[in-house]
Amino acid sequence: MCKTGKDKGVVPSVEGEVELAKIVALQAIRQQMGSQITSGAELLQGQQTKEPRWPSGLEHWDEWLGGGLARGQLTEVISPAISSGSGLILAALLGRARQERRYVMLLDVGRGFSLESVPEQDLDSLLWVGCASAEEAIEALDVASRDENFHLFLIDLRDCDPGDWRSVRANQWYRVLGQLRQRESIGVIFARHPVTTVAKQRMELVGRLPFECLERERSSVLPELRFRRDSLVPTEREGRRRRVESLQVG
Amino acid sequence: MGVVENSRKVLVSGFSVVLCPDFKLQAVVRRVNWREDPVALVDDTLRQSIVLCRNEEAVRKGVEVGMRTVQALARCPDLRVERPSSAGEMAASRALLEEVLSWAPGVEETEPGILTLDLSTQPESDWLESARRIRAQLYRLGLDVAIGLGETPSLARIAALTALSRGRSLWHLHPDSRLELLDSLPLTVAETGAELRDRLRLWGIKSLGAFARFDREAVATRLGAEGVELWLRLTGRLRRPLRLAKLEKLFEEHHDFEYEVREREPLLFILNRFVAQLAMRVGRTGQAVIAVHLLLSFSDGACYARRLPLPEPVLDEEVLFHLVSGHLENLEMKAPVEAVRLRFEPSDSLASQRQLFGAGLRNRHQFEDTMKRLRGLVGSERVGAPRRKDTHQPGVFELVPLPAEIEPGREPVGPPVTGLVLRCYPSARRATVMMRKGCPVRVDSSRASGVVVNVSGPWNASGDWWHQGRQWERAEWDVELLNQGLFRLVVSGGEWAVEGYYE
Repeated sequence: MCKTGKDKGVVPSVEGEVELAKIVALQAIRQQMGSQITSGAELLQGQQTKEPRWPSGLEHWDEWLGGGLARGQLTEVISPAISSGSGLILAALLGRARQERRYVMLLDVGRGFSLESVPEQDLDSLLWVGCASAEEAIEALDVASRDENFHLFLIDLRDCDPGDWRSVRANQWYRVLGQLRQRESIGVIFARHPVTTVAKQRMELVGRLPFECLERERSSVLPELRFRRDSLVPTEREGRRRRVESLQVG
Repeated sequence: MGVVENSRKVLVSGFSVVLCPDFKLQAVVRRVNWREDPVALVDDTLRQSIVLCRNEEAVRKGVEVGMRTVQALARCPDLRVERPSSAGEMAASRALLEEVLSWAPGVEETEPGILTLDLSTQPESDWLESARRIRAQLYRLGLDVAIGLGETPSLARIAALTALSRGRSLWHLHPDSRLELLDSLPLTVAETGAELRDRLRLWGIKSLGAFARFDREAVATRLGAEGVELWLRLTGRLRRPLRLAKLEKLFEEHHDFEYEVREREPLLFILNRFVAQLAMRVGRTGQAVIAVHLLLSFSDGACYARRLPLPEPVLDEEVLFHLVSGHLENLEMKAPVEAVRLRFEPSDSLASQRQLFGAGLRNRHQFEDTMKRLRGLVGSERVGAPRRKDTHQPGVFELVPLPAEIEPGREPVGPPVTGLVLRCYPSARRATVMMRKGCPVRVDSSRASGVVVNVSGPWNASGDWWHQGRQWERAEWDVELLNQGLFRLVVSGGEWAVEGYYE
């Protein structure tokens, strides 16, 4: 509904009614035609599913992600609880990159990366950057993501205070994203809470790993990790549906 | 003669001599049409000035070498008199060298104004065409040269002298018809001593071909070492390696500003031109640049010299200029610049060529640039490839440069990887641990507190007890805290701490 500038009261304008009528009519046509009509948003979504992916080697995870980590995009791995397995994913990605002989950069906020937990061979292609804060890490990522030599950027914000990464401006994330897209490199953020809406994919690790996992082979623990797709960012179709509903209510 | 045949072009060993007659004179007057005007180079250092050399036009007007300058001017009033110029000779020799390098990379500066080229890297079919091209380019630069081609440096020199004596620009002493061609050449072309030449003339030998047909032993018996040397030269058996020219002087440019430069823009403008010129010269030698030397002279007498190394040899003008300009941007100039000098340090570009199927850094220059900026951002001690040190002490590692090439993965050896991934706290958090029956039952610390529901340990470790003051000893416990997660506790020297958590 529109408000005119001069009138303070809520007066439905003629244009608003016409717009609403059009949307309702279109909805009706869509219901009649069924799946024969494809909207631009759906086309875009279809296109996005065809975008290049990098299989991480973790089968169940890749399946979840629609074929792997999206190239030229940021992916968030959220682990709200300690010992939910995000470290295993990080180590698996390092191993996979080493296997494919690709360079990886780890932006380690808090500098808590422990070498003893990673096979020595997997360190061959790793460049470690110890950052003091999330802001420093994003600045470093901004610099590093321009470099075509690196295929994978791992940003470890698990030990960050939320207030720390919230100080990062959105345009910094967008700039990084643009650079990742340009080089089709991959950014994976590990954090306790969702960090940025710029992330293309976001998944949350559910639950805690049991104590016995400290003795088990990693290859047997990895398939047991449980994820939940984060619903903070609605899909395009859901967003459109909500907008139409709100209009109808109005 | 070694012959290498590829699919289309044939490579044979051969040499060329580029001869610049009256080099000292040409070096001075190369910007004027010296063939048409009478020009003489005189020596003013003597008590009476004498003519050192002159051109053909001056010869026609009666000017002779050794003649007094006054006398020469009396014979030829319009004679142009010039003095030797070492700067002009240096510039001319540099121009000569620079041009012939576009023909072949192996060049010897045999004498001032005489260059010998190894043509074994060039297809024989291209020799004549390349020679004509080089001669035309040099002519445009004001240098008139004669070019000789032959199977050895000596024969190529004879060919060049023949071309000069016959007023031709090019002469090819082809190996297939060498003796026939030598038959037409007088003995003077071979630059032998006057005594040998007179003796040969007395014997009725008038051409080089006639001498080359003699038997070697007969020549050695009758004419000694000098005769044998001439015979070896003419028969193409006298071979010698070329003393390849030192090209460093080609890779340096210098500019003295006529005014004091306070801004960076005019400096960068000059440097940009230098980079383009020098990169082209280095490229002609088949090499690339591994370092750039920058020298600035300031008006207060101070100098700034810096070697700017490159991660791998490169010829990209943009990269080279970026290196220099990036360095200048951070340079504080306390006084105006008076002069600038730029030198490129060449290197073999093949030495660092990547393997076809190798997986390494795609762009080393970009990588070095990234490293530089990251070090500036987070500190140099926080960027690098982490490697374990030769110790069992946990958390001890070193940072090394990232390898430029990633080797293919090895088959994993030993038992499969077990357990979760430890993430350490920046500094171990002191903890209070309640023990029961030798095991932790409760932990209190700033990071994690709670009841221990599962525990394993202790895992004892010690080391460096053989080094005074460096010994360490610790015991690790892996614990699960109720509704908290999995943690590692460490007890060392009676102090408990939460070292990190397992993810």
